Amino acid sequence: MREPVAGISGIRTRGDLSMKTLILGSIILLFIPFLPLSANAQQFLRMVGPEDVGGAWGEVISRFHAQHPDIKVDYISGPWSTDERQNMYIRSFLGGDAFELVYMDVAWTAKFAAQGWLLPLDKWFPPEKREAFLPADIEAGFYGDHFYRVPVRTDVGVLYYRKDLMPYPPRTWEEFEAVCRQYADPPGRYCIVFQGMQYEGLVCNYLEYLWGAGGSPLDRDQNVLLDKAENVSALSFMKKVIDAGWAPRSVITFQEQQTLEFFEQGKALMMRNWPYAWTVLSRSPLERKVGIVPFIHQTGKEPAGTLGGWGLGMARTAKSPEAAWRFIEFASSSEAQKILHFRRGAVPTRRSLFQDEEILKESPHYRDLYEVLLKARPRPVHAEYPRISSILQKHVSAVLVGIESPRDAALRMDQSIEGVLKGKRRSWPGRLFLDYDLQKTLLNTLIFTAVSVPFEFLLGLVFALLINLPFRGRSLGRLAMLVPWALPTAVMAMAWQWMFNNPFGVVNDLLVRIGLLREPLDWLSTPEGAMFCAAFADVWKTTPFVTIILLAGLQTIPGALRESLTIDSAGKIAMFFHLYLPLLMPFIRVAFIFRIIHAAGIFDLMWVLTKGGPADTTRTLSLYIYDLAFRYDEVGYGLFLTGLFMICLILVSLLIVRLTTLQYERI
Amino acid sequence: MKVKKILFYLLIGSIFLYCLFPFAWTLQTALKPAEEVFRLPVSYFPETVSLQNLGDVFTRRPFGRYVLNSLIAGGAATVLTVWAASILAFRLRAMDLRRAMRIQRWFLAGAILPPALLVIPVFIVMKQLALVNNYLSLILSYTALNLPFALWMLHAAFRKLPRELDEAAVLDGFSSSAILYRIILPLSRPSLAVTAVLVFIFCWNEFILSLTLMPSQAMYTVPVGIALLSGASVYEIPWGEINAAVALTTIPIILVIAALQRWIIEGLTSGAVKG
Repeated sequence: MREPVAGISGIRTRGDLSMKTLILGSIILLFIPFLPLSANAQQFLRMVGPEDVGGAWGEVISRFHAQHPDIKVDYISGPWSTDERQNMYIRSFLGGDAFELVYMDVAWTAKFAAQGWLLPLDKWFPPEKREAFLPADIEAGFYGDHFYRVPVRTDVGVLYYRKDLMPYPPRTWEEFEAVCRQYADPPGRYCIVFQGMQYEGLVCNYLEYLWGAGGSPLDRDQNVLLDKAENVSALSFMKKVIDAGWAPRSVITFQEQQTLEFFEQGKALMMRNWPYAWTVLSRSPLERKVGIVPFIHQTGKEPAGTLGGWGLGMARTAKSPEAAWRFIEFASSSEAQKILHFRRGAVPTRRSLFQDEEILKESPHYRDLYEVLLKARPRPVHAEYPRISSILQKHVSAVLVGIESPRDAALRMDQSIEGVLKGKRRSWPGRLFLDYDLQKTLLNTLIFTAVSVPFEFLLGLVFALLINLPFRGRSLGRLAMLVPWALPTAVMAMAWQWMFNNPFGVVNDLLVRIGLLREPLDWLSTPEGAMFCAAFADVWKTTPFVTIILLAGLQTIPGALRESLTIDSAGKIAMFFHLYLPLLMPFIRVAFIFRIIHAAGIFDLMWVLTKGGPADTTRTLSLYIYDLAFRYDEVGYGLFLTGLFMICLILVSLLIVRLTTLQYERI
Repeated sequence: MKVKKILFYLLIGSIFLYCLFPFAWTLQTALKPAEEVFRLPVSYFPETVSLQNLGDVFTRRPFGRYVLNSLIAGGAATVLTVWAASILAFRLRAMDLRRAMRIQRWFLAGAILPPALLVIPVFIVMKQLALVNNYLSLILSYTALNLPFALWMLHAAFRKLPRELDEAAVLDGFSSSAILYRIILPLSRPSLAVTAVLVFIFCWNEFILSLTLMPSQAMYTVPVGIALLSGASVYEIPWGEINAAVALTTIPIILVIAALQRWIIEGLTSGAVKG
């Protein structure tokens, strides 16, 4: 038997063994991708849509299955929010495992096609087949010279009016004002409700005013036309509708559903909405009391309704395009469109169905609707549409909320969209100065950091000092303190959203009960309110982190010193500053750097709590960079900004170390 | 004296309330039946306790699947992290303190970056490895993210064990991996448990990477599933179900934290003393 090698050196050489296993293990792990779980993938198609209320898609798919037993279509219930479903598709394209059937809104087509994610359908869908559909829907299916999207259901913005309360519907803005003056009686009965929340629907509303004023966002050569007088007058008129009290101020938080409920309760004379509302209204007390007309316009101009609607395309990566086409063809057939119509109230895209007796019997209003549909206009068909839309949303929202004047908003819209379209052609550094979003989000980030970090430190210090004292129930106190730290930010952001809800949230209720508020506040839809909520939730969540680090620091302070800071000792404030603070300094520094970096990089909380709204007032740098990479497909520029951001954070950290060390040595 | 004491307890009490209130509120909303959730005035104690929401989360939504995904990704990442960190910490322990600390500090410097800055590069890499929508993408990135923290905790714990132990073990013919697996690890069981629990909680809570790396709904983890939970229409945000899901996600964390509270604080603070 040999003597075992004695001493630490022996351990070291053998320690390399486990080190090697570790490295080897990680390498092996990296190179064993999980076995692909593809069973019978050729015939398997997936599509994402909203929750299948009424089972319309279920029936379409089961009929399809009956005809094509070799193809299996899976309908995935996505979120109700259109934007969210679009993001689902984008992430699936980027992730390389695209949903084969792309069930898309009119507004997505250009972008998806420009990215090369879609397979052109020209081969299967020649011009003679297109003639059976409504012209605007076909027009919106094109990008460049190719056709990508077969319309399944159409939509158009229409004006609903109360036939029983008004003799005739207004056609122009002047008539609208006259009707409002004469028949509306706020707050019991407003004149109109529309969708004023910051989301895609707001753009649809706004474009109807803009087109109605004779304007247009882009011309044929993609020049931006938003600094023109038409835009200013459209924005001014929208603002006037709210300021004059014709629409309730709460429309700035309304999407379609809230609008409809408001109208259904008889609280408004008119409503801008989509045709689906008819089905709901015809089952309400308002049955037979409502008419449909095109949206109002300026005298001498043409009315227009924003074209909406959904259609099917297919992913370029679809493994069996033929099978996908079979389904697209079936889903856009008269048979399927009728199912979607009767089960779900979807407006068909085939012209012949507007003369279909069965349909007209159930929906006599389709005669009027057909007229509006012929006046429908698609939103700008541009690969950068999502960015154009988010810029429009932001500024229209800012005008409605009252943060920007119509003229400023018009100019900034114009500049920002120019900046985006031009910036794409410039080098990244050159783009920094054109990038309005960057400046705005940077400012928001600074505000958020400057508000939340000091509070966290103040509270964290107080907590640490208190918790460090010996008292009964101390362990319970410590537990309570750990709780916010350990709970998931994104999940708790949901809880905060509920607590700040208007009117069901507890925060409003408490404040009203105490008497601090006279009526519930709409916290999350005002700029200051939303920023406050975000900062408040962040302080709640991260104060314990500061406390833990400072507690660790307090524990390094020798017991003799600690004893002298009992509750009764004299001059304890002086003592705190001269003895405790210097000793705590290294810990404060670590916590401070950590908090600054993480507050500046905040993502989860904002993404869930406010989504950056309203009017981008809580959109931080991380949200912007994330959008650049995953919504606007500008990964390169996004990475460039990430790099700059990282360098800034490192510099700030070094600066903090520098400053705090000096102070520490001076004392 | 008495007044001071009362004031002190009032202060402690309000901190207590402040920290726990959001959780308590979620819980009480989750237990309300749907009609009561949307009723004014707001009721502070559910009049009728209903488990409807809690059940709906599993029957009407794939919440069970989200939980499974989180358990798989978080569990595997935790095992991997703790295993790798204990080997690294064991190596650091063998070095002299100053050098070990310097190495450890570099690790920590990497860990301080917010995940929002890492998400784009990580996504690009995972996409090239064809790991998007694969548990491995989360497992690997969570391991990388949490390794510095685990290393820091375990290094502090291992350092507490006397060096003489190793020397004695070497004399008994133990190989170095045997020393790690049969002496050091069993002796540091409490620290291992705390580290594992905390790493698991971090994985369980992580949002942005899982949002990005797992785009298909069947692969959502719990936080992403909750954040994207929506109702049949925009207005009918299913707050009852959301609160139920939030409560279900957070209760286990609170229970674990409550059970290990003393060791967690000790582990976190004693580690910091050295760092």
